[in-house]
Amino acid sequence: MMVNLVIIFFGKIISKFFRFFNLGDGSTWPGHIALGANKNFINQVLKKSKTKVIIVAGTNGKTTTSSLITHVLKENSKSVIQNKSGANLLNGIASTILLHCNNAGKLHADFAIFEIDENVVPLILKEITPDYLVLLNLFRDQLDRYGEINTIAAKWKDALNVIARDASIKQSQKNKKTIFILNADDPQITFIAENSSAKTKYFGCSDVSIRHNNTDHSADSNHCPKCRNKLTYLEKTFSHLGNWRCNKCGFKRPKLDLNNFPVYPLPGIYNKYNTHAAVLTLQATGLSEINIVNSFRSFLPAFGRQEILTYKNKKVQIFLSKNPTSFNQSFQTISDLGAKTLLLVLNDRIPDGRDVSWIWDTDMPRIGNFKHVLISGDRAFDMALRIYYEDYRNLTTYDDLSRAINAGISLIDDNETFFILPTYSAMLETRKILTGKKIL
Amino acid sequence: MSSKKQQAASSKSLKIGWLYPSLMSTYGDRGNIIVLQRRCEWRGIHVEIVNIDENTSDSELNSVNILFGGGAQDREQEMVMSHLRKKRKQIAKLIDDYLPALLVCGSPQLFGHYYEPSEGKRIDGLGIFDLATKHPGPRNDRLIGNVIAKSQIPELHDTVIVGFENHGGRTYLGKNAKPFANIIKGSGNNGEDGTEGVLYRNAIGSYLHGPLLPKNSAIADWLIKKALRLKYKEEIVLEQLDDTFSERAKQAIAQRLGVQL
Repeated sequence: MMVNLVIIFFGKIISKFFRFFNLGDGSTWPGHIALGANKNFINQVLKKSKTKVIIVAGTNGKTTTSSLITHVLKENSKSVIQNKSGANLLNGIASTILLHCNNAGKLHADFAIFEIDENVVPLILKEITPDYLVLLNLFRDQLDRYGEINTIAAKWKDALNVIARDASIKQSQKNKKTIFILNADDPQITFIAENSSAKTKYFGCSDVSIRHNNTDHSADSNHCPKCRNKLTYLEKTFSHLGNWRCNKCGFKRPKLDLNNFPVYPLPGIYNKYNTHAAVLTLQATGLSEINIVNSFRSFLPAFGRQEILTYKNKKVQIFLSKNPTSFNQSFQTISDLGAKTLLLVLNDRIPDGRDVSWIWDTDMPRIGNFKHVLISGDRAFDMALRIYYEDYRNLTTYDDLSRAINAGISLIDDNETFFILPTYSAMLETRKILTGKKIL
Repeated sequence: MSSKKQQAASSKSLKIGWLYPSLMSTYGDRGNIIVLQRRCEWRGIHVEIVNIDENTSDSELNSVNILFGGGAQDREQEMVMSHLRKKRKQIAKLIDDYLPALLVCGSPQLFGHYYEPSEGKRIDGLGIFDLATKHPGPRNDRLIGNVIAKSQIPELHDTVIVGFENHGGRTYLGKNAKPFANIIKGSGNNGEDGTEGVLYRNAIGSYLHGPLLPKNSAIADWLIKKALRLKYKEEIVLEQLDDTFSERAKQAIAQRLGVQL
């Protein structure tokens, strides 16, 4: 369509203009304009292109899973386009498409991988029928923006039914059918795709070291999504994930297509889930296990997800911790790594969620082993209060994040690692201070 | 208060009853329990926390000294209500007999006359609080954001309360109901009449989480004092605790909202 060619031409110019004059990252503006000019922009370009689309959604693990998939595809000589970290609303996706189009309005990449925000899943599935849809989990996160988990789950279920129906029609026309890659250990995710006619692949983590802990306060879905009876867990990995079943209606964890893999590029049980999701997706694209294993060996973590940086000749490791589940997992992992000095950065900006109540659903069982806890961020005093009520007293608050980072660096020994647990916007800020540049 | 009647808090004990923690615990509600527990323990008061649910016996419920209930999603709220109705008389009597209680988010809706969800049928409440709640429908905005209010508890009159609200339902107080606080910034019960929550005897109903008690330690101590008074029939002196962080956390929000504390 002519209008799309004009959009692409001007969109690219606008993006260059933004970058040249350093007016911000320019990663969502072109998409904003494109959709303003033609609301079917995404749909039309994708229809013309042969690019296979992978969509990754879920509360935790989107970026890591997408990075794993992208890395392996590229290692196997596939071309991949990806939306930038954080640009996971409709505008961000339109921008990614626009910037990678040729002047004829066509994408040439073999794959497009989009990580998308929970709340826009239904909206995006209206525009795009993906070849692969990866649903990782649904945890309590940013309730203030999205309302309740049950509401989101219901919207996803509706959206999935629609694409499953579309896909079965399209199969006869275009031979395109969505493959669902689902976390079977999450009862809500299983429920969402129940009765869908699409082809499904299930991953889980049933044979890992069991942390059966009834006091896990980050658990969100303890009740059967179908009949509301309390679920029984044969095994629990963390929060509400595990081998679950409902004794009342018989709804239970489906049979797993994957529960173990020879190589895990990142530590932590949550990364086992991410790895399994990536492996099932990659296998569905036709890659063999040996190709995936070899590519995993050269993987480096995504921004702020267990990323190790050097600052003033000392080691700093960042663990994005944006909700009770990711915080608890980060805390457990750094405790296992023998952490002594810790900086917590709590912000309450839009990408973080305005409501910081979630910090009271976290657990910090081994906080007594830390020598120092430093605290910064917009809501530093809320976090300090949380730590204070853990009966921990050796804490210091800092208004200024770079002062907090420098104070932490000067506290650690040469061979020690300084651990930082930031929320999303705090992670971007932290990284900017540590590397001296913006990431987006 | 005569010094004869004053007693130190140590060697005392309190039982906190938590309503349906597995169904009604969103928005960091557990923070309220942590604060009550620690503030007692730091003063030598032994604390026991018991879950109140469909398996709780009448005598167990009667032995509770502070009752706490948190927020819930609509679906869970319905489940709780179907259980709780069976205990209506007993709970109403306890609250009438001045049992200190803190009910936040979804819980006060259950303690009112009824709740009309955005979809589905009206849910009858326990009718202990003289209030009713209606959800104006999914097209209306939820009331979300930081809140600053002034306490209307007689002993804590005009104490500044800071919290965070996030609710779809609009609550309207009946003729005889008194608010827990008056709004300075934020929406409160319905975004119209400037009231926040409800105060009946020693029971507080409130939309404020954040959670409420960490930043508003005066409310926590008020509940503890009332509970000790009711249990031991004596005035009990609570030792002052270091509240630097809660004061500074309150200040930070007040400053951001342009309110002079």
